[in-house]
Amino acid sequence: MLKFIVNDKILETNAHPGTILIDYLRDELKLYGTKEGCKEGECGACTVLAGTLDDKGNISYKSVASCILPIGDVNGSHIVSIEGVNQEELNTIQKAIFDYSASQCGFCTPGIVLSLTYFALSSSEFSYKDAEDALDGNLCRCTGYVAIRNAAKALSDLLKTKSRDMNKRIDVLLEAGVLPSYFAQIPQKLKKLNASSASSPSAKARIIAGGTDLFVQIPDQLVESDLKFISERKDLNYIRVDGNCIRIGAATSLEDFRNSCAVNKYFPFMKDDVLLHSSMILRNKATLAGNIVNASPIGDITIMLLALNASIVIDGNGKTREIALDKFYKDYKKFDLSEGEIIKEILVPFMNEGVLYNFEKVSNRKILDIAAVNSSILIETNGMDIAALRISAGGVASIPLMIGGLDNFRGKEISYETVNKLAEYVVSQVAPIDDVRGSANYKKLLIRQLIFAHFNKLFGVKVCAGEGC
Amino acid sequence: MRNVDMKMHIRGRSVFVDDIPAQEGLLHAVLFLSPIAKGTIEKLDISKANKAEGVAGVFVGKDIPGPNQIGHMIPDQPLFAEKEIQYAGQPIAMVVAESKHLAKKALKLIELQVKEEEGVFEPREAFKSGMIHAAPRVITAGDLDSAWSKCEYIVEGKAHNGPQEHFYFETQRALAVPGEDDTMKVYASVQSPGAFQHHIAEILNIPMHKVELEIRRLGGAFGGKESTAIWAVAPALAAKLLNRPVKMVLGRNEDIATSGKRHPYEFDYKMGLDKDGKILAYQVDLYQQAGAFADISLAVLGRSFLHVSSSYFIPNLKAMAVSCKTNLPSNNAFRGFGVPQGVFVIETAIEHASEVMGVDPSVIKRKNLLQDGDFLPYGMQLEKTNAIRCWEELDRRSGGIARRIKTIEAYNKANTETKKGISVVPVCFGISFAQTALNQGSALANIYADGSVSVSTGAVEMGQGVNMKIALIAAKALSIGKDKVRVETTNTSRIPNASPTSASTGADLNGMAAKMACDTLYKRLQVFAAKKFNHNNPDEISIRDEIVYLKSAKTDYKWEQLIHEAYWDRTDLGCRAFYATPGVYIDRKTERGRPFAYYSYGTSITEVTLDCIRGTYDIDSVDVVHDVGVSLSHNIDKGQIEGAIIQAIGWSTMEQIKYNSKGKMLTAVNSYKIPDIKFCPKEFNVYILENSLNPYAVSNSKAVGEPPFIHGLGAYFALVRALRSFRKDKPLPASLPITPEKAFMYLYE
Repeated sequence: MLKFIVNDKILETNAHPGTILIDYLRDELKLYGTKEGCKEGECGACTVLAGTLDDKGNISYKSVASCILPIGDVNGSHIVSIEGVNQEELNTIQKAIFDYSASQCGFCTPGIVLSLTYFALSSSEFSYKDAEDALDGNLCRCTGYVAIRNAAKALSDLLKTKSRDMNKRIDVLLEAGVLPSYFAQIPQKLKKLNASSASSPSAKARIIAGGTDLFVQIPDQLVESDLKFISERKDLNYIRVDGNCIRIGAATSLEDFRNSCAVNKYFPFMKDDVLLHSSMILRNKATLAGNIVNASPIGDITIMLLALNASIVIDGNGKTREIALDKFYKDYKKFDLSEGEIIKEILVPFMNEGVLYNFEKVSNRKILDIAAVNSSILIETNGMDIAALRISAGGVASIPLMIGGLDNFRGKEISYETVNKLAEYVVSQVAPIDDVRGSANYKKLLIRQLIFAHFNKLFGVKVCAGEGC
Repeated sequence: MRNVDMKMHIRGRSVFVDDIPAQEGLLHAVLFLSPIAKGTIEKLDISKANKAEGVAGVFVGKDIPGPNQIGHMIPDQPLFAEKEIQYAGQPIAMVVAESKHLAKKALKLIELQVKEEEGVFEPREAFKSGMIHAAPRVITAGDLDSAWSKCEYIVEGKAHNGPQEHFYFETQRALAVPGEDDTMKVYASVQSPGAFQHHIAEILNIPMHKVELEIRRLGGAFGGKESTAIWAVAPALAAKLLNRPVKMVLGRNEDIATSGKRHPYEFDYKMGLDKDGKILAYQVDLYQQAGAFADISLAVLGRSFLHVSSSYFIPNLKAMAVSCKTNLPSNNAFRGFGVPQGVFVIETAIEHASEVMGVDPSVIKRKNLLQDGDFLPYGMQLEKTNAIRCWEELDRRSGGIARRIKTIEAYNKANTETKKGISVVPVCFGISFAQTALNQGSALANIYADGSVSVSTGAVEMGQGVNMKIALIAAKALSIGKDKVRVETTNTSRIPNASPTSASTGADLNGMAAKMACDTLYKRLQVFAAKKFNHNNPDEISIRDEIVYLKSAKTDYKWEQLIHEAYWDRTDLGCRAFYATPGVYIDRKTERGRPFAYYSYGTSITEVTLDCIRGTYDIDSVDVVHDVGVSLSHNIDKGQIEGAIIQAIGWSTMEQIKYNSKGKMLTAVNSYKIPDIKFCPKEFNVYILENSLNPYAVSNSKAVGEPPFIHGLGAYFALVRALRSFRKDKPLPASLPITPEKAFMYLYE
């Protein structure tokens, strides 16, 4: 039996926990405002909010793609669809969209309203940039975004006149006409909900972390399978500083990681780099651990963590073990994890003083796209010489690749010549294939350029190639 | 004024086809598709699928009561392939079941044996082997042969443009509900009420009057729901055969893999100019990638063909255009309808010429812009030409075209790791269906006894705001508040034989018909009011803002009372009107005529920055001056201009489709990328040309749906400039789109 609140109603259902949320909303609850545009989390038309309570009883909402979200994963949560933000008149967000004519055919519009509601709920400063980030997974084929941007700017300006106190955010938004009044009672109702686990007790149950890829790949199968939800493991939802490393629990979402104070203190580049991974409605569900076990040769997070020399702690079958991430991958989608084991946490060591890091990603579209090639570098220098070097590269092998044999470059002076040699060496280590992300030849030439890009960005090394230089 | 539905859209209350609550007994249909692009069916066994859980029926070609035929322009396309397979994804059978899930499961039980043959996927190759949908069209103007010798510069080359997926948010879908007496009501997401009603009636083998097609609104269409009738016809067929309501809703990837696209073309061009850059001669051949069936491709081809000279006066010209048959899904209409391709190739030729001449392309463009008195290739002489006005207005508004080009040149001299590019693109877009017969629209205006008004037309609302434009036109004609006017669904029982809502003519044709119907009602009210006031001249009665005036004197007689009494006096308060655009024709033998009632003009300037390390780029700014005549609604027109331009920038840059060597689609929703909010140019300024009067359309307005699409080519040509400033040792790029991969390979391969 699953229990949750949908808009202002408490609901119980015996539906299979793998039932997709949008199907449940539309087919069972007859809430037709949520639109299905792609069923892969690629367009944002189905965006809804999912609210959960933290230990202190504070509620926090996330925008999520309801088309790839199983209802078992929102068990005990508050689901908000477009019907749940409607008021007598247009609410403040809806009015901004109306005032700027930011809707044409209307099919993407409910999703846009919900993503902007998430912005209002989550942005500490109500900055326009946060609004744009909140909308990075909401495509629109009609307006060309100019009107949507104008509406978001107006909304940001309006909200900036209100209190930015995160502790009073719900009250502020009730007052500002963003949320309907029933939101005030939701935390109390959630507390009393007492939902039991949605996970199957079966040892063979399929483990769902964020599910943002699995529910794209095999939704029909999962709808009928036993599932175990990592999101229920509150004990694994943490980011902790421990000595000279940071520990990230397996249930931590990419957005929580990106916004974590500890992460921003020790790895300040993550705030922007992680934005290149998928979109807000996916990052709010997708986890770092899920990205690792997905084992995509092009996984952005994996490529970042490889260069940062992360390791993972694996739990299961009565023991706990730790393994360096760069030893984890064996072959295409094959890795060192046995049945009964799960990734418990990820350890990322702090970077020593003076060590530099850079992430590069080239994809057909900059946002919400899979890279043709991505790469991270971690480099320690001694004067202008390379003292230590780690380079990872995605999209160029059957696994997320850690480039080996870089010791030869220790002691080399950072110069065009050295970078050129390094780039040639990296190219000799890769074997990309032709696919929809690009030709093998492209990827080979591109990884060479990205090595240059690393040194260009970190050390200003000139990239001199082609006629134009 | 905004889209009439906007408040409902924003609250999620607009009802699209899939939002209609399920009727008792509703079934779901899915199509069984060909896995190969070319071959013959040797064996098809549906018996296991037929017996599967929840299956109500499995149907193939021989189950169709009427002819197995849905060809849009020529009868060449079966609904279900029976023997010959012409493209991967072609429907062969249909499974109908209690749920979509069960229907999809049963699909896997259908057994198909095929004999695969080698397909043809390239238009030039198809042309060589005689695989064409119709004889090539040829148009000539002036004396091309003798013009070449007068040219100082001659350039020739090949060019190519890629396809574009519509990516309307609401995929193809329809719900068919059988009624009494063999009738069928179909709720569909389609743009062509008359044509689709016809296709359904033919397949079901019932007269058209038994088919009622009801269209409330579409979640986007852009031309993709104009001609290919498969997804409206198939559920109607199932509903007929099972006598139960049946719904068909395509999944996104099925929609991408099996629906038509904007046509790719291959081009050969040759252009000659005098020493000052005046274009004297232009020859161009267009090979259209049409796909397996003619669908609407011949009409698209015609428009490309009639727009090969774009915004330029070219005294000596020859164009050949041919629609090539290949083993891919039939391509179809997409915003611009062939014009963007015709413009693309001449802009490429000018780009080429500018490099040979050593001048900026804008210099040649400005010198050859159309003006009053110029002739277009089909012999039409221009008047009220706004090409130069738009250019000069843009020059004023955008900080000076020449100055901005200089700034870019200086930037590129100073920078090696990034390069900028800039491009000016003028637009001259003919308005009217090139197929003259389609230039007709009708409207039914009803005034109810309480004073509220409903207007039905053949126009389909798909987000472009046509219903608001019609409401405004009707409200103005009756001089009442627009809230008194409700624009009804598009329904074939109210409006017969409606043309597709396309060619940007939705408001022109249907708005004019609505105005005519309301004008007639107004006259009847004048007559009634004159009688009531015992006044002998009805012309001296007027209605202004819902109040009756007698000889310009305000009375206390209000709209509601007027209508109430007019009804009791037995005044006819319903009126149907019909409009056919006057004076348009084309003689297909001589390719001479006046195919378009008027032209929409515009000019834009687009600036880009290319990252020469990574091959990625940003579209920095777009400034555009566009001519919409007297705008019916600034908000709606601006939205159309912005949306069209971003859509075209997508086509010019990131939107790409890949097939394997056997013609099977590799691209799916996770690899077909359309512009997102962060890709949208940071600077985007739209100026609507002022003081433009257009006597050829309703209330002096001009059509706006498609013409601004052309501006988006500016992103492509600005990228060409940026690429060229990095390296010139290669041939000029002549293949659209320029994806990051293509940009990179140009820089580094």
